[in-house]
Amino acid sequence: MKRSTLFPMFLYPMLLYPVLVALVLCSAPPLVSAAKVGAAAPDFTGTASTGKTFRLSDYRGKYVVLEWHNNGCPFVRKQYNSGNMQQLQKQWTGQGVVWFTILSSAPGKQGYATAQEENDYLAKMQAEPTAALLDSAGQIGHLYDAKTSPQMVVINPQGVVIYDGAIDDKPTTDLNDVPGATNYVSLALQQAMAGKQVETSATRPYGCSVKYADATH
Amino acid sequence: MFLNFVMKGRGFSRAVNPAKIRLCRLWRSVLVRRSQRHHIRKTLREGFRIETKMPGRSPSSAFYRALTCGAALLLGAASALAEGTPIPHGTLELIARNQWIAAGHTLDLGLRFQLETGWHIYWVNPGDSGEPPRVEWQLPPGLTAGAMEWPTPRRLETASIVDYGYEDTVLLIVPLHAAASLAAQPPVRLGAQVRLLVCSHEMCIPGKAELALTLPVKSQAPAPDALTADLFAATRKSLPRPAAGNWRFSVTDANDSFVLTAKVGHQITQVVFFPLAESQIENAAPQKLLAEKAEFRLTLRKSDRLLKPIERLKGVLVLSGDQAFLIDVPISKAGAVRNNSGNGAH
Repeated sequence: MKRSTLFPMFLYPMLLYPVLVALVLCSAPPLVSAAKVGAAAPDFTGTASTGKTFRLSDYRGKYVVLEWHNNGCPFVRKQYNSGNMQQLQKQWTGQGVVWFTILSSAPGKQGYATAQEENDYLAKMQAEPTAALLDSAGQIGHLYDAKTSPQMVVINPQGVVIYDGAIDDKPTTDLNDVPGATNYVSLALQQAMAGKQVETSATRPYGCSVKYADATH
Repeated sequence: MFLNFVMKGRGFSRAVNPAKIRLCRLWRSVLVRRSQRHHIRKTLREGFRIETKMPGRSPSSAFYRALTCGAALLLGAASALAEGTPIPHGTLELIARNQWIAAGHTLDLGLRFQLETGWHIYWVNPGDSGEPPRVEWQLPPGLTAGAMEWPTPRRLETASIVDYGYEDTVLLIVPLHAAASLAAQPPVRLGAQVRLLVCSHEMCIPGKAELALTLPVKSQAPAPDALTADLFAATRKSLPRPAAGNWRFSVTDANDSFVLTAKVGHQITQVVFFPLAESQIENAAPQKLLAEKAEFRLTLRKSDRLLKPIERLKGVLVLSGDQAFLIDVPISKAGAVRNNSGNGAH
């Protein structure tokens, strides 16, 4: 009885508020994914297979392409074995575009590569991204809510996401589908560089799920 | 076969995780109980010999363990799965419900997938990743294959990614229409080329299978095949079906979500919605259920990739864990609209 006079009963639930707030903050998934077409591209710092560090915001003033990669994924192999991805990298980096290949596979999962393995792969495939960023903790992947490999993001010189989604309009693993496909990355870059609105700015990315570290089962 | 087996062993040695080792041990114990000890030992000895002959490799105990696992899984797959064409981590078989093709009738054909534990294939809408199996039919004149009937999938969840697909075994039914003018004839060949993607949470492997089935064409009424009829009947029974005529569905567009209201006449405790079209709802977002006495409300977060408004919400609604219904509901700002389930939802 005495206690209730010192600290009225109806105030007791207030003691729980900090706990509740903490619970909500910790357990709720982010309400909107960080990377959204039309919004600022979230900044990140990544370590490349060469050991160099790259920060996205250092490339303001340039177009940046993000390519989610998993060298064992049949959808990715379609792009690399046909030479299409390398050709895109060459074509666009030749025009001043910065191209980051991002490896978000966790160790032990398909697509994970050590720095040496990735360097060997780049050499073997004659791939020429600006850098291949090793993201085995999945930090950049989660920041952009990358769901598949290959998933492609295009960022304009103002640091705004202008494309997010599939590499092209043929969601298959068949090499024969590469030549006739409409490449959304090239289309977005061409339209944006010509000062036009990007017509197809968001598509469903197709491919293998990104093999993140924290699988629930 | 041994080459295949050794490759598999190597695959495991690259990516051995504790769960897999446990699985392998389980498999091993099951197999040993089936008195296949001798066979396993023989296979292991031979597989091991092939491997040790290769230059630059020392037979470490970890490798031996991985090899045992590969062998156990391979043998397990061989003994647990019925005949069928091998696909990555499973088998696939083309089966028919009836003993023959009857002119003027529709015959259920089925693609029977049997997958190793931990591997899955995809639903017609694969969700955030993956690709559904695709079939190309080679059929004689007078026979046409209809649209595939997809059983209710499962949510396959990993981190922020949710896919829709099937684990273990699944039968995908394809109705085969035989023209009334089709003449009785000796067995005809029904061919199917299937392209598919098989994935685990660790990796994805594409597969291709050439399947064939030969069946006679008769003018008599069809007779079920005793070996398959039960499986077809059970699968048909479990397929999503049109919702009851007196149920009322409506969907309202509420900024970042679609709110599905269903008046079903009784209280529902569990609801899962599977969208038929890609990129309409955020697959990984929780589906919030508000259940009342005779109706419920389900809030589905819109996909970030849904940039243009959509007119209808189509999908499969699973109530209380097992009853699955097809719904196809116009989206409005407010007001209940009669359900048009079944109208071209598949």
